[in-house]
Amino acid sequence: MEDIGFILSTYIATFVGSVALAWYYLRRGKRLAEQLPPEDMPWI
Amino acid sequence: MFRVARYIAAKDLRIELRSRVVVNQVLPFAAIVMVMFAFALNTDAIVSRVAPGLIWLATMFSLLILVQRSFAIESADGATDALKAAGVDPAGIFLGKAFALAVQLLVLEILLLMPAIVLYRARVQWDSVVLLVTTFLAATCGLALVGTLYGGLAAGVRGRETLLPLLLLPVVAPVLIGATRATEAAFHTGGAVVADGWSWLGLLAVFAALFGVGGTLAFGPLIED
Amino acid sequence: MAVTQNRITNTTATDPLAERSVEPAKRRRGGATGTRFTFVLGAATIASMALLVLFGLFLSPADITQGESVRILYIHVGTVWVAYVAFGVTAIASALFLWKRTTSLTWDRIAGASAEVGVLFMALTLFAGSIWGRLSWGQFWVWDARVTTTAFLFITYVGYLAVRGLGGSHQQRGRRSAVVALLAVLEIPLVHFSVKLWRGLHQEASVAGTTKVQLENLMLFSLFLALIAFTLLYVWLVMHRQRVLAMQDALDDKGLDYALAARRAESSTAATTSATTTAATGGTV
Repeated sequence: MEDIGFILSTYIATFVGSVALAWYYLRRGKRLAEQLPPEDMPWI
Repeated sequence: MFRVARYIAAKDLRIELRSRVVVNQVLPFAAIVMVMFAFALNTDAIVSRVAPGLIWLATMFSLLILVQRSFAIESADGATDALKAAGVDPAGIFLGKAFALAVQLLVLEILLLMPAIVLYRARVQWDSVVLLVTTFLAATCGLALVGTLYGGLAAGVRGRETLLPLLLLPVVAPVLIGATRATEAAFHTGGAVVADGWSWLGLLAVFAALFGVGGTLAFGPLIED
Repeated sequence: MAVTQNRITNTTATDPLAERSVEPAKRRRGGATGTRFTFVLGAATIASMALLVLFGLFLSPADITQGESVRILYIHVGTVWVAYVAFGVTAIASALFLWKRTTSLTWDRIAGASAEVGVLFMALTLFAGSIWGRLSWGQFWVWDARVTTTAFLFITYVGYLAVRGLGGSHQQRGRRSAVVALLAVLEIPLVHFSVKLWRGLHQEASVAGTTKVQLENLMLFSLFLALIAFTLLYVWLVMHRQRVLAMQDALDDKGLDYALAARRAESSTAATTSATTTAATGGTV
């Protein structure tokens, strides 16, 4: 497959970007939850 | 609402008349910007070709300063608190400040046109004066309305002023495109015909109308605490 | 429950925190923002993404005219779809926040979360799009209406996120950013039309090569797969982000109270232990 480098870079960039954002959100959630009681988290 | 607007506009213009900030500071700034364009672009032919664009670019950059000035005078001496305590109609404030800003902008643009003609060798054709005048008026209205709106958003509190360019410049992009193309038509640069210019004028008019209405509605919620 | 005078806020209220120290949420399998629903959603997202990679990169055929570069379109169309949905949601949520009958800070947080995710996907769209353009047209960038409006939208929403970070009360943040979002929506057709008119009149952006894509069955399937996968990802991200923002707002509002309650709880246990030690040692310390 020619141009495979270009094509792969889009897939990898998308993967890395999404995972990084998801990771950031989950980590931030954990950090904040350490300081809050359950009643401030109505989805639980 | 319009009475309030008249008072606010008169106040702003009187402050400007007494302090002469536009003439003493902003105009030289705009002139320097135009000179620097010539330095950057090098060739006479290129500079003449893009002269309309350069005029409007210099205007846009000056708009940023004018907007910040327009709201800086409000925060001096607790003027904003006094306005709020007086229960003034925010739509009136918006229209009044926009009108004053438009007047200052117009003065700036007219004074910029002359160095442009000299430095860039732009040629103003007499048959297209109507187009030129209408373009300047329509574009200025749009810029003043949008500038006042986003200026109200970004005014005063530290950390907010630096946001103004980021917010305002993308929004005025249609005006830059429209005004430049219409001015090119008026100057007959690059084979542009006057007839082309009028369609761009339509765009400028729509822009001004939309933000006139939008701004009047949005200004209230923006400045209330 | 003891009725205590809260010295900070000067209100008399039952203070449930006075009697117990703040118990943070116990360690849960879903972390802090996860629920059963998001867990299932996340699993579905990962599964559909894996399928997308499989079909997009391997099982689907190359295009007749475009060759392998059509594979980029699966990502590109997926991300641009999500980006536009995200900004639409931001606009609607902003309107709902401003409208008096439905106003709630939850709408403001949804607007913010959606815009963040939208900005990421807009950036990915521009990236994939420019790579595709390089392969199809030989150029990374072209000044036509759609591409320029997309770039404009990206910058505008970066500005929106900056406005959200300006500080002030939550209500102020909500109002300011809601107005910015709605003005941005107003602006989009203006920009699109002005660029279209600009390029139309001057014909300067003649795009070399063809933009037409012949979609046969497997390619169409991969495209739908991309839409589904990215939509699931979008929903998952926004749900988690919205919850994080809710926690952040709660912490802003009550964080000081919780810290003070914890301090009080500590000092009261310290007082009881010192009292017991005094009693044990039989007399004054």
